[in-house]
Amino acid sequence: MLDAPAESSPREQERALVLAAQRGQSEAFAALVRLHGRRAYAVARAIAATHEDAEDAVQEGFLHAYRALGRFRPEQAFGAWLYRIVANAALDIGRRRKVRSTEALADSVALPFRDPAESDELRRRLKESLAMLPERQRAVLVLHDVEGFTHGEIGQMLGMPEGTARSDLHHARAALRRTLSDLWSER
Amino acid sequence: MNPESRIGPDGRDDEVTRALRTVYAAPDNPAYWEALEARILSRIRSEADGWWQSFSGWGRMGLLAAAVLLMVAGLALTHARESLMQTREQEARLAYQMVMQVPQTLPQQLVAATDGAPAREATLHYVVFSP
Repeated sequence: MLDAPAESSPREQERALVLAAQRGQSEAFAALVRLHGRRAYAVARAIAATHEDAEDAVQEGFLHAYRALGRFRPEQAFGAWLYRIVANAALDIGRRRKVRSTEALADSVALPFRDPAESDELRRRLKESLAMLPERQRAVLVLHDVEGFTHGEIGQMLGMPEGTARSDLHHARAALRRTLSDLWSER
Repeated sequence: MNPESRIGPDGRDDEVTRALRTVYAAPDNPAYWEALEARILSRIRSEADGWWQSFSGWGRMGLLAAAVLLMVAGLALTHARESLMQTREQEARLAYQMVMQVPQTLPQQLVAATDGAPAREATLHYVVFSP
């Protein structure tokens, strides 16, 4: 039985779930998985090269979080803690995949998992440009511009100073602008 | 259009951001998320249950019996080893005592063979000439 009062704030409800999960209530951890699964996937997808790698990272991340739950202090933000673990899992998977060639990486980034009928020129060119970006810059760009994380949150997740996240974002945007500039000049 | 003119005050290009969102969009099918959550929870359950749960009921009984047998065999082995050590220790002590305890009187056989000679000579005579 979960003891989160219905009228409490989402933060309090989450804290109650964390405490219950720490006491060994599996349904409380299941509720945390439901609560954070999509956002965790988004974090993993920003870092991982493919949808499949992102899925693996989410599973690994939740498993690591479950193992480390006893060390988590409930006054912290569970989401930030979890996303850092998921980001690390995605980075680990990326490192293991490093042996793949650039061409294979470009293919995997360019391959949408749910929309194989790609027709839009901007999206096609964007995927090619993303594949050419350094892994960390791509992750910062997606986490900031797509997922709306702040520079500080991104820095925490990827284990780097906030200023580095800011500068990575700047460089990633500039690189995209450069590679897509001819597309706009054609219009 | 000049790309620089498309950039907002925060440095974001809205058209590129829209395209990025379509590239990185998460699956929107609820069934996908349910399946992913089920996979995550299944992995966690198997981790929590541990290796013990991977055996069937009879398998667990067999493992338990084997563990008890191993424990009994281990105890018996330890006991037997201790007994052996004690016996060896006793034998060594006895041998030492036999060596150290020099008889105060000459054996009857030695006395008969060397009648009248001093004890030292009698012993030497006995050692050299006895069969």
